[in-house]
Amino acid sequence: MDYSKLTEKLLEKCLKTGADAAEVYLQTGRSLTIEILNSEIETIQEATVAGVGFRVFTGNRMGFSHCNNLSDDVTSETIKKALAFAKLSTPDENNILTDDVSTQEIPGLCDNEINRVLTDTKIELATTLEKEALRDPRITKSSGASYREGESEIFIANSNGIFKSSKFSSCSLGVSVVAEKGNQKNTGSESCSRVFFGELMSPSEIGALAARNAWEMLDPVMIKTQRAAVIFDADTGRSLLGGIITAVNGERVLQGASFLKDSLGSQIASPLLTLVDDGIKPKGLASKPFDGEGVPTMKNMIIENGILKSFIYNMRAAKRAGVKSTGNASRGGFSSLPGIGTHNVYIAPGKSLRNEIIAATQKGLLVKEVTGYGIDPVSGNFSGGVSGFWIENGKILHPVKGVTIAGKAFEILNAIDMMGNDPDMNRTFASPTFRVAEMQIGGK
Amino acid sequence: MKQNSVKDIPRRKFLEMSMKGGLLIAAAPSLLYALNSCSGSGATFPPPGIDQALLDRVLARALEKGGDFADIYIENRISRQIVMEESVFRGGLYGVSQGAGIRVISGNKTGYAYTEELTKEKLLRAAEVASFVARGAEKGVGKPVSVTDRTSYVTVKVPLQQVADDQRLQILKRADEAARDYDRRIKMTSIEYNDEIRSRIIATSEGVYLQDELPLLFFIVQAMSDDGTNRHMARERLSYHSGFEMFETVSPETVARNAAREAIDMLGAKDAPAGIMDVVMQNGWGGVLVHEAVGHPLEADNIAKGVGAFTGKLGKKVASDCFTMIDDGTIPNFRGTINFDDEGTPAAKNILIENGVLKGYMTDILSARQLNMPRTGNGRRESFRYIPIPRMTNTYIEKGNDNPEDILASTPKGIYVQSLSGGSVNPVTGVFNFTCREAYLIENGRKTTPVKGATLIGSCLDVISNIDAVGNDLDFGPGICGKGQSAEVTAGQPTVRIRGINVGGSRG
Repeated sequence: MDYSKLTEKLLEKCLKTGADAAEVYLQTGRSLTIEILNSEIETIQEATVAGVGFRVFTGNRMGFSHCNNLSDDVTSETIKKALAFAKLSTPDENNILTDDVSTQEIPGLCDNEINRVLTDTKIELATTLEKEALRDPRITKSSGASYREGESEIFIANSNGIFKSSKFSSCSLGVSVVAEKGNQKNTGSESCSRVFFGELMSPSEIGALAARNAWEMLDPVMIKTQRAAVIFDADTGRSLLGGIITAVNGERVLQGASFLKDSLGSQIASPLLTLVDDGIKPKGLASKPFDGEGVPTMKNMIIENGILKSFIYNMRAAKRAGVKSTGNASRGGFSSLPGIGTHNVYIAPGKSLRNEIIAATQKGLLVKEVTGYGIDPVSGNFSGGVSGFWIENGKILHPVKGVTIAGKAFEILNAIDMMGNDPDMNRTFASPTFRVAEMQIGGK
Repeated sequence: MKQNSVKDIPRRKFLEMSMKGGLLIAAAPSLLYALNSCSGSGATFPPPGIDQALLDRVLARALEKGGDFADIYIENRISRQIVMEESVFRGGLYGVSQGAGIRVISGNKTGYAYTEELTKEKLLRAAEVASFVARGAEKGVGKPVSVTDRTSYVTVKVPLQQVADDQRLQILKRADEAARDYDRRIKMTSIEYNDEIRSRIIATSEGVYLQDELPLLFFIVQAMSDDGTNRHMARERLSYHSGFEMFETVSPETVARNAAREAIDMLGAKDAPAGIMDVVMQNGWGGVLVHEAVGHPLEADNIAKGVGAFTGKLGKKVASDCFTMIDDGTIPNFRGTINFDDEGTPAAKNILIENGVLKGYMTDILSARQLNMPRTGNGRRESFRYIPIPRMTNTYIEKGNDNPEDILASTPKGIYVQSLSGGSVNPVTGVFNFTCREAYLIENGRKTTPVKGATLIGSCLDVISNIDAVGNDLDFGPGICGKGQSAEVTAGQPTVRIRGINVGGSRG
């Protein structure tokens, strides 16, 4: 099927049905999932998807509908439903569509070869990964290894003359294993995601990391409730800072539902913290030439040297705030309205080596895993469960499990006193190892 | 490792729910179950030509290369969402989603493929793709399908198809006004109304053929308070498999006022203490703690893999004597009620733990085969895009003998948890975490100062051994449970006391 033509045809249909303005967002794709358990295939799953979402406007009233049946009668009926809903909604002058027809090319968003690699090769890859992860004698069981891939194509057209499309691919390889010792049981997982099949980490590398994550937490010792330094190991920063991404959502700021609502331009964190959202990174897993409304994406400084530089916006929130869209309209797929979200987020690397941060810590917790919701975007409170290692006099003493850490966002962010140089920039939220000088730790 | 979680509601994809005051609508369900079969989607369901003869052909194709079992799951879902934010209708959302998934099981292997186009060619093609997994196995033979009887536990008085969109809007308006009228410090509301009608056809190589239609209503009110210094976002929800009469049983104003009350009460919250302490959990949605901590580890998929936290513990004492836990997919009209699961197995009331002794796991067809155990009616899936896996339905701690006031009065010091945001568990180790949304200090057996959202952490085996008081006030709350795919559930409990949970406060 020629989806470009269909997209244009559907846009015409929206206008003919009675919309003053309209947007068509059509998505197609396919996916493959292979799950291996104990060297045997557990699941093979293949699927193709095609669906379309319609945003239609009568005056400033907006309605939305979606369907995954692209036949003439179902799309007609679905468009009518959107129009009926539009007539019921409250007029809102901020409901506008972009007229930015400019396009940009981002290299490395789609691996055209991924589909040509034989399924048997992919099965073999996941099977090898599981074997590699089970190699260490401390590892007793496998919870399974998996290979996943997806390809998708997005077409967006609106009545302001926009027509854009782009293709994407991704693949990932992951494994989860169990380490047991007496009554103790620990899981360890690791996975690697890339745009290009050929750039996946090797099964031996991923397997060794998963195994280590499982066995290194054996024989934990409980620590006392106290205040001490907390080092967030590379990649755990996401669990803490995820709430900041929600708090800089321009719409929440306008609603007053963000602890950062009055902080634009002020120092909210230690000068060591720079937080960037990059939509145009070559080969970035979350890079896109245009956002969920067709606005060109860009690289945005959110926090620079501790100063809050920017909120993030889609068209509607930007119009309301009197600013330009930052290219951050996010879409969960064809079935969801444009919200606000980030692309590839990273904390800019600092100068310290991970070992130096540990060595400089008299008494503290090196965090390997954080559970919970991170910083609460409304109140700025933080509380989470953690596991990791206890450090005294610059040395790792023993694993720690089942403790909590907590604090207030501004206090935590301003207490960052060492920033590592080790983020894994392949992740969609990359964070180096960093230290918070002091936090409340809850233990025995 | 998939973490199983019940999460807070992200802005657009609601993932968590709770409410209080669950009311049973008791009636003869199968008699009152009278929904219009018209889907209103512009297409009929099932589409013409998708009949039992074709499904027999598709099942035969699925088993052509071998395999022990095959099934077809055909689904049509019509959904509506209306969002009112800051007292303004943001616009409505209407969706049609249709497709079919075909599965082949051969030994421990599963092949799965789905199609969004319900045509003979696409169904046969999907069956062929799914069949590859069984290459080399002995050729399977299925029974021809025929209509199978199942009890319905869902009654409808006012079918959603007969409700005008304007009536839906009125519900949101009423809630918005009630929340803002509650107190001037309520600065913002966000109200979400969702309804859907899910039609299913299930055909299996065991000869089962089932068709039904389940309506679902889901209403969420968020109210944010702001007194210039502190802010709190509160949330209250209501959800049943029901017609529009749900709002006569529980009014939108009641839901809104409950949210507003929480928002205002929590404005004065102080920092929570940190460390190990006793926790009293109020009846209702708090049951999500055992849903996560105990329910997920009792789902049989990880048990079949030999890695689950409760592996090998069947018939053994795993919890205190006062602890009985049940999963029941037959409670009339409850959000987690299913009539039959997405593999066609009838819903059932399953006792998981009785007086502290582990009685059973929750199985789907595959894990029941692997463990040589009965099918419990827990094979569920989010949609035709997903393989069924063992999932909970309505899961709860059975009521005990203690008076809730006595439980509180006999706890000198600790935390009283009135509502939880949600949490997650690692089903292998049983380690869980939860975030409190509304909690209070317990001082001298009394509920005193509200405290800010603290995390509760622990391990499932510890927590159920440390429950030492179970109230007589069983209540439920609805939620959405995530396990790689989502499922609508309820969680319930009477007031309970758990000794020694680690509370993640910011005060030493």
